[in-house]
Formats: sequence, structure tokens, C-alpha cells
Amino acid sequence: MAFSPRATLARMLLMRRFEEMVITLARVHKLGRQHLAIGNEALGAAALMQLADGDLIYTTHRNHGHMIARGVDSGKALAEILGRAGGLCGGKGGTWHMTDPALGFQSTSAMVGGSIGLSVGGGFALKHRKTGGVAVALFGDGALDEGIAYEALNIASLYALPVLFLCENNSKEGEAQTSRLATKELTAVPRALKIVCASVDGGNPKAVDRAVGAALAHVRGGNGPYFLEAQLVRWPGSHQIVHEFTTGVTDVTAAWDKAKASNEHAEWQRNDPILRFAHDMIACGALTREDVVALDADANAMIAKARTFAEASPFPKPEAALAGVFV
Amino acid sequence: MPIKSFAVAMIDALAHSLRSDPNVVLIGAHSFLSDRGLRPEDERALWDAFPDRLIDPPTSEGVCTSLVTGAAMAGMRPFLNYGTATFAFEAFNQIMSEAANVSLMSGGQLRAPMTLHMFAGIRGGGAGQHSSSPQAMYANSAGLELVLPASPADAQGLLRSAIKSDNPTVVITHTRLLSMTGEVPDGDFSTPFGQARIAREGRDVTIVATSLMVREALKAAEALAQDGVEAEVIDPRTIIPLDTAAICTSVRKTGRLVTVDEGNALCSIGSEIAALVAEQAFDALKAPIVRVARPPVPIAFSPPLEAYVTPNADKVVAAVRKTMQA
Ligand SMILES: Cc1ncc(C[n+]2csc(CCOP(=O)(O)OP(=O)(O)O)c2C)c(N)n1
Ligand SMILES: [Mg+2]
Repeated sequence: MAFSPRATLARMLLMRRFEEMVITLARVHKLGRQHLAIGNEALGAAALMQLADGDLIYTTHRNHGHMIARGVDSGKALAEILGRAGGLCGGKGGTWHMTDPALGFQSTSAMVGGSIGLSVGGGFALKHRKTGGVAVALFGDGALDEGIAYEALNIASLYALPVLFLCENNSKEGEAQTSRLATKELTAVPRALKIVCASVDGGNPKAVDRAVGAALAHVRGGNGPYFLEAQLVRWPGSHQIVHEFTTGVTDVTAAWDKAKASNEHAEWQRNDPILRFAHDMIACGALTREDVVALDADANAMIAKARTFAEASPFPKPEAALAGVFV
Repeated sequence: MPIKSFAVAMIDALAHSLRSDPNVVLIGAHSFLSDRGLRPEDERALWDAFPDRLIDPPTSEGVCTSLVTGAAMAGMRPFLNYGTATFAFEAFNQIMSEAANVSLMSGGQLRAPMTLHMFAGIRGGGAGQHSSSPQAMYANSAGLELVLPASPADAQGLLRSAIKSDNPTVVITHTRLLSMTGEVPDGDFSTPFGQARIAREGRDVTIVATSLMVREALKAAEALAQDGVEAEVIDPRTIIPLDTAAICTSVRKTGRLVTVDEGNALCSIGSEIAALVAEQAFDALKAPIVRVARPPVPIAFSPPLEAYVTPNADKVVAAVRKTMQA
């Protein structure tokens, strides 16, 4: 499938407006901890939009963006975050455990390293059942601190499992680190285990599209696992327990309006993958300013509808707490 | 006596240990010390005083447990803080097969004087993976001491004893106790293991409660007192070793027992205390024992579902009423 700047930006905006709505709803409904994917949109959208029916996805505590990128219903996702009966998991999973098997989401594990382990099982099943599908493990750089990462990479390589290991690396030397590896080069670990590796600027959707396309072709071609490191710039608000609009509400016109691009959030805005992409696509003539404004208005409208759905959804009956442990 | 929060009392116990024994180190320092209510200058002073003994390791619970076990066997007295209790499940082998076995497997030649600390419990929105109350799992290890502090004074005194103990010791702190304040004796002190605390005296029913549930049991006792029912609330403080005498003595006085522990009811701390009383004080019982605990289900995220399965004062009152009617 050819890369579409319009569809990709639309999806990225939907992811951003979704997370901004989570910030708003967390205040209104006094929600607890969230891990927002603001700043991870380019990677999420360009990677997950390429997956096919039958591919299996395993994600982490920072999962919202992945779900929206893959096309999960944003109303049901918001309802899940609010703990409502109409949520993806009937309110039982919440922000940390959203799943949507119809779109391939097998698991959101909030245990660091959880997704990378389960993905190997998915890859094992896909290979055994000869479905042609790919298991995609999404995980942060922190997962490589856990012993299971080594074990999972080893067994995936040993058995030539169809697994795409997609690492969202948002640690930068000298700044807040979410991993403490003795090597600064994350791919050195999988490479030592004979896994084909690449690194990509995770803030550039076109580059991500190309890199993920190559990775998927490798895995679908029966060549065993592939490890792709996406280098991300950490959103300054990402450590907060209860999020704020740390860098303001996203204003897409900052992609071309010089005055806006030099406000107090200028540094973030230079790295913001949405503003970067909009700017570049306008510069190369692929999109106009009006296109960008219209796509953003669509995203806002969809998220407003999602909010209405989520807030209108009732809480589950308390006794539901006891149901569904066993099938 | 000074008033302190539970969290600060724990930090003070650790600070006393660091000062008095150069072989004490804290691994997992950040989530133990930071944003826990210390004055910023006091926190800074701690980091400055012990720059190579306050350590933030990689997210590697498994090897960190092996590291402290190996270091303890080789002469140190380490303290490992996992953060949320479920993270320690990453290290189950290292805890259960390595640390717990050191003394016995070596025929008593070796020891592992180490403390494993974790924040546990149903905390609000923790969902399936951040709501565990795993005390019974550690109680079943054979080879670990198990400490469940329920007040700021005990947090400090029991933690100090845990660090001084020559055995591997698991300390479980309920997240919702961290902000609790109370009187704590001045200076450095230790609270002995195996001595229950009578948190409230009463003649009609014995409530044995652990950790955060002590507070819920005390609330329940106040409510019951309005109806003329006087509950005795016993806080065992340590499950291993367990003060069986204090529990049986109380039941012999009241003739009734309700246990309150936030863990899963199945094979729980409450089950063990019920079995103990059935074995040792059966003749004193006037009514069946009632256990208050969480049902055996993973915790759902949605607030009404979480509330439904969380043990609290109201459920303790109902349990006491049931045993009073029997
Ligand atoms: C087994 C385990 N240990 C510790 C944690 C606590 N924890 C939550 S998020 C996090 C950092 C994860 O970093 P990374 O995987 O790079 O993801 P990021 O948040 O940076 O996107 C940690 C240590 C956890 N959730 N699970
Ligand atoms: Mg990270």
C-alpha cells in the first residue's frame, strides 16, 4: 500500500486529539495514572496502518496511540479509560489493559517486558498455523532492561519466528532515562542474537513507513524476526502521573505560523512529529494549509463524538467484578 | 512523640540503618524516597550522604533480587525496593528458590540478611496488574519472614528489625497507608517480630486484621460500639513469625473470630488464622469464624467493580454481625 500523507496525518491528528481528550477527561472524572503517547504519533500511525488482518499486536502501558493508530473505535477506547460498560473490555481493563482482538490486539501488558514475551508466543502460533501473519511486539527501551527481552529475542531468532520487534526508544543520554543498558546502541543486543536490525527516526512518518514496510516484508517472507528501533523525542509531559497540557493544546497552524512557532513551547514544537510532518508536507506541496486545518477539524469532531459516547455509557453493574474469570 | 507519616517513618528506619551499618544499601531508591513526603532538603541530604548506597537499578527485578541475595550471602545487608508488588513476580524464582533456601540448603552455614520491600494492595484504578496483595504467597514460601506494618510507628520499628534480621525478610506496605500519620517514638528503635499489637481492646469478638485492614477494622469497631458490640482488634504485625498466643488468648476471651486481610480469600492469611484458632482454641468458639478478604478474582479497572471486591469497614461490620447472630 502506497504511503498516503493525507491518511497518515489524519490518523496522527486523531491520536493526538484522543490523548488531549484523555487529559481533559482525567480531570473531569478524576482518573488515575495514564501514559500518553503524545509525540509517538508518527511511529504509531505509519507502523500500525500497515498491518493486515490476522497480524497480532502486543502493546504496553503507553498503548492508547497504538490502538487509535490501528483504527480502534475511539469512543469505545475512551469508554474503557473511563471504566464504562461500553468500553473495549467492558471497563475491566482500563487504560493499561485495553484489547481489541478484532483488530489483532491480543494484549496490553503494563508489566515492562510483558509484550515482548507474549509476542513470541503469537509468532510461534502464527508460524505453526501457517497463517502468514506477523506478531508485532511494541515496547519501550525500558523493556530491554528485563531478562525476558533477551530470552524472547533469543528464542524468536532460534525458531525463526515471524515477529516484528518494534522498540519505541524515548531515552536520550543525559536526560530522563527509561532504560539503563550498558550499551548505548539498543540494536546491539538483538544483533548479537542474529536478528536483522534497523533504526529509524520515529518522528518522521515517511521514514517509518519505509522502515516498517521493509521489516514486514522480511518477516512475511519467512526470514525470521526483525528488530526496528524507532528513536523518539520524549514529550515533556510524559512523566506526569496526572497529565497536564504541558505543551499547550496542539495548534496545527504553528506548522507554518512563525509567531506561534516561537512561543514558550517552541522547543517541543520543533520536535512535535505532527507539526514537523504538516510543515514538510505543505513545503513539498503534498498538502495545503487548508487541508491540514480540515483534517484537524475532522479529528476534533470524531473525538468529540467519542467523548459523547464514552460519557453516556453507564458503569458496569458491580457484580460484574466476579464474572468472566474463567470461560 | 513526633507525628510522622508512614512513608517518612519508613525512610527514617532506612536512614538509621544506613548510618549505623556501612553494609546496608538501598536498591530501588527513587520510588522509596522521592515524592514520599520528605522535606526536599532532607531528601537531598540523604542522597548526598549516601551517594553510592542509594541505587536506582535498571528495570531488572529478577537479577536485582539475585544481586541482593548474593550480596547478602557475601557479607552485606541490602534492602531491595521493588515499587509495586507485582513487579516482584518477575523475581519469583530468585525469591522462592534462591533467597528462601539459603540457610537451610547450606545446613545453616550461610545466611541471607536481606529485606525485600514492595508497595501492594488495591489502590484505586490499579486494575489487573497493579492491585495485588500477595502476602499469602510469601507466607507460603518457607524460609522468608513476612512483615505487614499497619501504623507509622510500626513502619519504622519493623523495618528497622527487618534490616537487622539475619533472615531474608519480605515487607509489604499497602500503598494507601503511605500518607497515614501517627505518633512515632524519637530516635532509632526496633520493634520485635512475632509480637502482635492489640490495636483496640474488646470483649465480644476478636478481629484479626493486617496492614491497611487494621484501619478498616478499627473503623468497624467504632461503628459496632454504637450498637454495644465491643470488638478487640489484633494486628499480628508479622505473619512469619506469627504471635499465635496473642490471637488464641483474645479468642478465648471473646469466643468469636473475624479475620480481615486484603489478599485473595483462598489459602489466605485469614485461612491460616482461622485454621490456627480451629486447632488451638476450638473449644472457646461460640460461633463459626468469618473471613473478610477479596474474592478470588483479578481486580477489574472500573471503580464500581473494584469497590465491590475491596474489603472495607462495612464488610467487617457485616461479618461481625453475622458471627454475633450465630
Ligand atoms: C515489571 C515492571 N517493572 C517496573 C514497572 C514500572 N514502570 C512503569 S513504566 C516504566 C518505564 C518503562 O519505560 P519504557 O519501557 O521505555 O516505556 P516508556 O514509558 O518510556 O514509553 C517502569 C519502570 C513496570 N510497569 N513493570
Ligand atoms: Mg522509554
